This record gives sequence, C-alpha cells and structure tokens, in this order.
Amino acid sequence: MPGAVEAYGIDAVDLGEVLRYLGYSGQKLDGELAARIDEVVARCLSVGRPRGVTRVFGVEGSSERDGVPVLRLSGTSLELAGHSIASHLDGAVAVGVLVVTAGMGVEAELRRLSLTDRVAQVIFDAAGSALVERAANAAEASLVAQAADRGLYCGTRFSPGYGDLPLETQPVLLAALDAGRLLGITLSDSLLMSPTKSVTAVAGFFERPPTDARPGCSACYAREFCLLRRSGRTCRG
Amino acid sequence: MAEAVRRDELVLRRRRVADADLSSVLAGKRFLLFDGAMGTQLQARGLAAGELPELLCLTNPGEVTAIHTAYVTAGADVVTTNTFGANAAKLGAAASVEEVFQAAVACARAARPRYVAADLGPTGQLLAPMGPLAFDDAYELFARQARAADAAGADLFIIETMSDLAEAKAALLAVRENSDLPAVVSMTFAEDGRTFLGTTPEVAALTLSSMGADAVGINCSLGPSEVIPLVERMLPWTSCPVLVQANAGLPRVEDGVTVYDVGVDEYVAAVERMLGMGVTIVGGCCGTTPDYIAAERALLDARRPAPRHVRDCFAVCGPQRLVSLEAGQVGVIGERINPTGKRRMQEALRSGNHDLVMGEAIAQERAGAQILDVNAGLPEIDERAVMCRLVAELQGVTTLPLQIDASDPAVIEAAVRSYPGKPLINSVNGKGESLSAVLPIAAHYGCAVVGLTLDEDGIPATSDGRLAVARKIVTEADALGIPRHDVVIDCLAMAASTDQTAPRAILDAIRAVKHELPGVRTVLGVSNISFGLPFRPLVNATFLAAAFSAGLDLAIINPESRRMMDAVDSWRVLSGEDASARFYVEHYAGRTDAVGAPSLHGDKSLASQAPSDGEGARSEDPAERARSLVLEGRSAPVAEAVAQVLESHDALYAINEVLIPALDEVGRRFEKGTFFLPQLMASAEAAKAGFEVIRASTPAADAATSGKGTIVICTVHGDIHDIGKNIVRMLLENYGYDVVDLGRDVPPEVVADETVARHAPLVGLSALMTSTVPAMAETIKLLRERAPWCKVVVGGAVLTPEYAQMVGADFYAKDATETAHIAGEVLGR
Repeated sequence: MPGAVEAYGIDAVDLGEVLRYLGYSGQKLDGELAARIDEVVARCLSVGRPRGVTRVFGVEGSSERDGVPVLRLSGTSLELAGHSIASHLDGAVAVGVLVVTAGMGVEAELRRLSLTDRVAQVIFDAAGSALVERAANAAEASLVAQAADRGLYCGTRFSPGYGDLPLETQPVLLAALDAGRLLGITLSDSLLMSPTKSVTAVAGFFERPPTDARPGCSACYAREFCLLRRSGRTCRG
Repeated sequence: MAEAVRRDELVLRRRRVADADLSSVLAGKRFLLFDGAMGTQLQARGLAAGELPELLCLTNPGEVTAIHTAYVTAGADVVTTNTFGANAAKLGAAASVEEVFQAAVACARAARPRYVAADLGPTGQLLAPMGPLAFDDAYELFARQARAADAAGADLFIIETMSDLAEAKAALLAVRENSDLPAVVSMTFAEDGRTFLGTTPEVAALTLSSMGADAVGINCSLGPSEVIPLVERMLPWTSCPVLVQANAGLPRVEDGVTVYDVGVDEYVAAVERMLGMGVTIVGGCCGTTPDYIAAERALLDARRPAPRHVRDCFAVCGPQRLVSLEAGQVGVIGERINPTGKRRMQEALRSGNHDLVMGEAIAQERAGAQILDVNAGLPEIDERAVMCRLVAELQGVTTLPLQIDASDPAVIEAAVRSYPGKPLINSVNGKGESLSAVLPIAAHYGCAVVGLTLDEDGIPATSDGRLAVARKIVTEADALGIPRHDVVIDCLAMAASTDQTAPRAILDAIRAVKHELPGVRTVLGVSNISFGLPFRPLVNATFLAAAFSAGLDLAIINPESRRMMDAVDSWRVLSGEDASARFYVEHYAGRTDAVGAPSLHGDKSLASQAPSDGEGARSEDPAERARSLVLEGRSAPVAEAVAQVLESHDALYAINEVLIPALDEVGRRFEKGTFFLPQLMASAEAAKAGFEVIRASTPAADAATSGKGTIVICTVHGDIHDIGKNIVRMLLENYGYDVVDLGRDVPPEVVADETVARHAPLVGLSALMTSTVPAMAETIKLLRERAPWCKVVVGGAVLTPEYAQMVGADFYAKDATETAHIAGEVLGR
C-alpha cells in the first residue's frame, strides 16, 4: 500500500559539498566562476522538487541463501541480502525504507545543459547530487521520528550497492514503496534510476541506540557551517 | 520499428465495438462507469508490498474475481483486468504475458460484467531521450500485451496512469496496430497540473485524440476536487469522450496504514460537477471501493451527458507546449534548421556535433518562433537517423512544437511516430504518389500537414490552378478523416523578379483557398519572392504583410531577421490579435530605425563586461591577452582578442602560438591541482570561442582548425551518464580533432558501424557504473572484430587501469586532459 509523499522544503544546499563534488581543494576561485556556480546552484534549487516516500516494515527473521544471510521483512516481499547489511541491521526489530528524488525537472535541466552548456552541466550535476543528498537526510530524519514514535532508535542509512547489498534489491524496494506511481521513479535494465538524482536506502530501528552508529554529519547541528566538512573531512576522521 | 503502416487499410479500419451501447458511449451520447481500485483492494486482502499483483490472476483467481464481482454488484459497467504491470519486462521469468492476460480476462469475465477492459500501465522504464528505453522497445512490450488481451477476449483497452506522453503514444500505437478494439488513454497529473515529465492536460488531449484514442482522460495521483480544474482544461481540446478516475483524495499514513481522506459523498459531489462540464466516463482509482462506484451509479442513472464545446482551430504541440491559432491569428515557423545552402549546418549534420543546431533552435525561440521547422536533407547522410536524433535532442532544449520537413515519407514516418506530441508534417503535394504516401501517415499519427500546391505538371501559374491542386489535396485528406483545421496549404511563393504577376497570383490563391475550402489553413515560405532582387528583407517583409492581409495563417521565415518579425508584430496590432497593442507597445516603445537598435526579444549580450583581475588579460598585445583570457575562462573577451590577433597574424599563428599553448597550460594546471574541474571546462569553452572566430574567418582557417583525425566517443550501452564524455569532447575538439559524439547509452553495433564508416583510428568509451562495464568489454570485443586498426581509450568513475586492461582497452585515461595526451600519441598533435 503506498505511503504518503513527503515534500521537503529545501532552500539551500551545502556549497562546500557542491565544490567538493567538483574536485575543489582550495584553488583560487575567481569572481566570475564563483558567480556562475552560485547561479547554477540557485537554478538547481528552483527546478528541483525534492520528494520522498518512507515506509517501515517489521523484521520477520533471517535465513541463509548460498552462504549469504538474507533478512526477511513482514508485509513485503523485499529481502535484504548480504553480510554488510546483516551486520548493519544486526539487532534491528524493524526496518525503515526510504526513496527520495530531486525530481524530473532536475533531470530535464541536466539534459538541456548537456546539449547547450557543458560547464553549467558539470556544476548543475554536482548541485543536483548535493540536493538529493539533503533530501535523503530529510527522509532519514523522518524515519528517526517514526522510530521515536515507537520508542525505537533509528540507525544510519544504507543503500543498495553499498557493501554486498546487491543493486538487484532496487526493483522490489521501489515497488514496495510504489515509487513509480508516487514519485515517477523508473529503473533501467541496468538498474539505474531515473531521475538519476534519486536515492534509496534502508535503516534499522533498534531498541537501544546502536553502538556502531556514530552520529554522522547528517545529524549534526553544525553541518551547514562546519569548516571541517567544507574542506572535505569530517570530525570522525 | 514495426512494419511501415499498412496505409489506407489501417487508417480506415473500423473498431470492433462490443455492442450498440458501447458505440453510443464512444460517440459521447451515453455514460460509462468503470470500476474502482484494484491495488488497494488486493492490499487490503494481504498482498505484500513489492509483490507482482498480476500473478494473483494465476495463483489466486478466486480472490481477483471476488474484487471484480463486488464492483459489478455495485453497478460498474466495466471491470478492469488485473494487468497494470503485466508486461514482459516486469513479469520476467515469473509468468508469460499471454498466460497472465488469459487468466486476468477469465477472472474478469467470471464476475459477469457488461464489458472487460484490458489494463495497460506504464512499462516501468523511462523512455528515450531522457531515459534508456527505446520507443520501439516500449512499443514491442505493449504490442505483446495488446495481442494477448485481444486473444484473451477483452472488449476494450484502458491505457492508464501514464506520465510520459511518448510512452502513452507507444501504447496507443501498439493497440491500434495490433487490435481493432476501442482504446481509452488516461494520463496522471501532479498538483502543478503537469505529469512527471511536464505534459499538460491540453497537450495530452490533443495528441492522443488526434492519434485516434477513443476516449482520453485523467486518473490517479489526485483527488477529485484537484482533478476538476485539470479536466476543465482537457475538455476543449478533444472531441472524443473524456474519462476521469480520481483517487479518493490524497494518501496519508496513519499508524503505518495508508488512508485516503475523501469520503463517498464528497467524491461523488466532485464527479457530479465534472459530469456537468462534459465528462462522460467515470470510475475510481487508488483508495476507492465498491461504495464509491455504487454512489456514482446512482448519479449517472439520474443524469444525461452534458453538451460539449470543442475548439475547432489549428493546433500542434510538443510534449510540454501547445500552440494554437484561432481565426484571425497568425503564427511564425522558424526556418533556420535546414542545411540547404548553409555550410556550417551541413558540417554539423555530417559530424553529428549538433551544438549549432541546438543554438539555432534556442535563438529562434527567443526571437519569437512558435514552431520550428526541422530539415536534415543532405544527400550523403542517413537522413532518417539524423532526423530522429535531431528531433530527440531538440526536445531537450526547446518546448516549441516541431515541423518535420522531409521529402522521403519513410523519414517523415520515423520522426512523427515517436514524437511526443502532435507535429506538423512538411509536406505533401498534389502528385498522386505523394498523396498516397504522406496523407495516410498524417492520418495514422494524428499530425497536421502542409500541402504544397504543385503536382505532376509543376506549380500552376494561376491562382485557379493552385486552388485546383489544393482542392485535390483537401479532398484526399477529407476522405482519410483528417480534420480541415489540420490541413495547411502552401500556395508557394515564386520570384517577383522573373514574373511580376507572380505575387498577385499567390495572394489571390491564398484568398481563394481560404474562401473555397472552408476550415483549411494556409502557410507560406516567404523568402523566394525576393529572389534576384537587392535588399531582399524589405521585399520579403512587404510581401509578408500583403499575404497576412490575404488571409495567410502561418509564415515560414527566419525569425532572427528583425524586419520580418517587425512585419509580424505590427500586423498583429493591425489585425487586432495583439489586444490593446500591449506586446507592441511594450517591445517597440523607444524603437527607431537606427542601425544596431537593440534586439527585440532580448539577444544574449555578446561581451562580458566583468573586469578582469589578471595582468595579462589587460595586455596591449592581443595574443598575450587571449592566452590569459583562456586561462581565466572568459569566452566573449577571448573571441574579441583572437579577432584582433587575426588582424596581424594568420590562422595558424592564432592556433599554434596562442590557443593551443594556453590550453596546454590549462591542462598542466589541472594536473597539478591548481585548477579544478569547472575552471578546466570554462577555459576549454573560452578557447572554443576563439576557435570559432578563427573558423569563421576563412574556409582555409576552417581546415586548419580540424583535420587532425577522427575520434569516435560515447557513453556505453546501458549508461546514461554523459558528463565525463562531454568534458572529453570539449577538450578534444579544442585540439582540432574531428570528434564524432554518439551520445549516451550507445549499443556496441552503433559504435562499430560508425568507427568502420569513418575509419576512425581512436575510439573513446566512458562508463560510470560497474553494471555497465560489461557493455564496455562487449563494445571493445566487437571493435576488435570489425575495426582491428582502431585503438580504444576508456575512462569513467568506476574504471581503474586494471579494469581497463580487463575489458581489453589499449589505454586508460583518468581524466580529460589525459585523454587529450593519448589522442596526441595516437593521432599526432
């Protein structure tokens, strides 16, 4: 059953992150290029429609298939296979699943720029990545709240393709969230999402704060103005 | 593509309609009630999220029939089969399309409804050009469903929840060409009144009903109140019945359960308003239950279909924009995308580097064009392939509808078949051969068509002669059911310098066509009139004004010509189209005839006024200045500086002593890390502006800036990331290589074909995902077989030197500058 679409009112992206995606490491940045980056980032924010869907499924149990642990969830045919996700979700009583997208407008603008202005395309692509990252943070925050409602703690998010969680998880994950109908997300034969600026992930709900889940930047109050982050590092090393 | 249209037979084929009542539904004289949600009901019965609901037709037919039966009992005329996602791509190995449709139709029939509608939902993949699924592949998925549903005994089709007009079109064509059952097509819109891909209700209605949908409509996504303003916009643009199947409001999650917030009474009140507006087919979508359908039944039984007001005007559209002309309005078709007599455009079409074409499209739109003519007619190219690629790429840069300009019917058909919208075809003429080849294409694909007043005897000299040819074309079009407002007659301008009676004959012919063939529109390519005369724009503009006065509807002109747009804009004041002369006053106040008057629709300012902080950028020596400006990445000043260099030096000096050394320095800085990516690209772009100036200076210089050899590049099959590839292309072009950019998601055979055809010594392949690295290996393997002489360089985020070796490449390039080094090694600098 489809959940409700969450709309995220994101009016800024981390400029440091945009620059880092562009390979910036402290080079001299003249006024003209800096202005151009600002302009493209603003355009990305104006055409972007960050949206997402989250759902929570209970953990039904786990089994093993071909020597690989498989986590089964209740009320869905979604299965999470692999050693890395098994250890990430070890002890979880429920699993939050999220999908977010920056929207087809971002995709259309990327295509337009690929045909007309390739410098802007590169910058816009970085801005789009930063935007969908923020949308994913927002969806993760929504899961944190849903966990709290149940008196549980939400771990950090983990996406298909990380570790040995296979990309083949994507079709069922997207179907379970009705992402095609609700968000317009489609999947190619090579399991690539369109719009390309889309993210799927799962996060465990735990009865105790997960010990291995050091709070990431996404949960840090200083993330927007942190100088360490801007230079491409984090306080966690 | 499927076989070429079986011409007249297909166009005129009758629908197989179940009974007389359904015929009156399709004539708009009777209501039809569909069922409500299937998915919501299945989930309420315990379907797990992510499972394929269609398989239940096979594994649990009783459950599916029980849902259908509940809707029939509630009073639904039609039940919709549980086949929304039953295409070969989604079903995979789980079941065959045929067995699912057989079972699904049987489940539906068992509920004893009046009619069974076979449900076709989206493929689940995004179609080209934005996505990787080819139009023809989408068509094949739908065609298999259509054949299966027809064989299983459905009464009609419902194609629904479409957000991509191209996909809706593929589905409708698949049904039309594989079944003679009626088809309803419904799209889904978001709160902003557009589908996820930007299509409006007007565009959907016009395109799909022109193509022969038996009913069009709106379903899913929104509640009934939100649908009302959208269906109001849709109704005037189609003469066929309109369907609405709204959700029971917007979903929200309560205690982990999805609930919909619009109850039966509120739902039915909104439906009643829509019936009053002229909607005749209703039902329900997500969240609706048999209770909603029962209430709609009661509503329909107490009412009769309301009268409709459908527009009768010339209208064409692209996927996002509809352009229409009411009586008395005039329109501008931009003529610039045409290689005839344009050397640079010819080169662009030959090389596949379409920047110039995209630039022309943008400039014409900005100058006021409302439709863009697209012509790819060059003898030595594959016109069909180039036309299709141009049409796809133009959709990325402009929302203007296109006019497909070709003489070969096969080229026209290939282009209009997958065009997401209603295009204009240019053209048919009075020759028997042309009439029988082109008009059926216009009819089958629902296009408007330009008819040239010439036939086997040439262009008649008199207006009566032209009228006679026009009449012949219109009679044929009438017979094929092409509406009069979709036929646009071109009375053909002839040179006044050779025959001064010609202009009057043309104007008389326009008047005669408008008078004698009511409903038909006229179009004219104006510029021939001034052939052989000096200062042609003046003659063209004067004649254009006279033609408007005679009743001309559409002018094919160069909208970037100031004088032509002056004539258009001022005529619109005189005709009353520009109400209160608002546009004219806003744009022409303060205008004089002085040379260099500022351009009307806001041309790009050429020179960047930003001051520079670099010393060299202010140097007296233009060569020094150009080098510094390239390093600063400032295009417009580089162009100026290079123009100055050329005043005292030749092209080779400007290339080898100015631009190339500057680019080398950019590359060094990038490698050392003192430049980052956007700086590298801005510099490449600035250098390109310099090369453009050199190229434009003399044809000899043009040769000097290229000719170092051909490099074929692309992103491999399955991968649509093209940023890295685009950066590489910019750099290689700067260094003077002929870069053939095949784009993204390119099948191995295409790479091999092009490499062989051009005998390219170097091929560059890019892949950004591990899942597409095998496609890279496959491409290289094919190249080794078919083009053993060529070297292959690979790059992309996931690649490493080890991967490169594994896939069999000759070179691995970690970034664009390294690719340029490798090109230098293979082809010479």
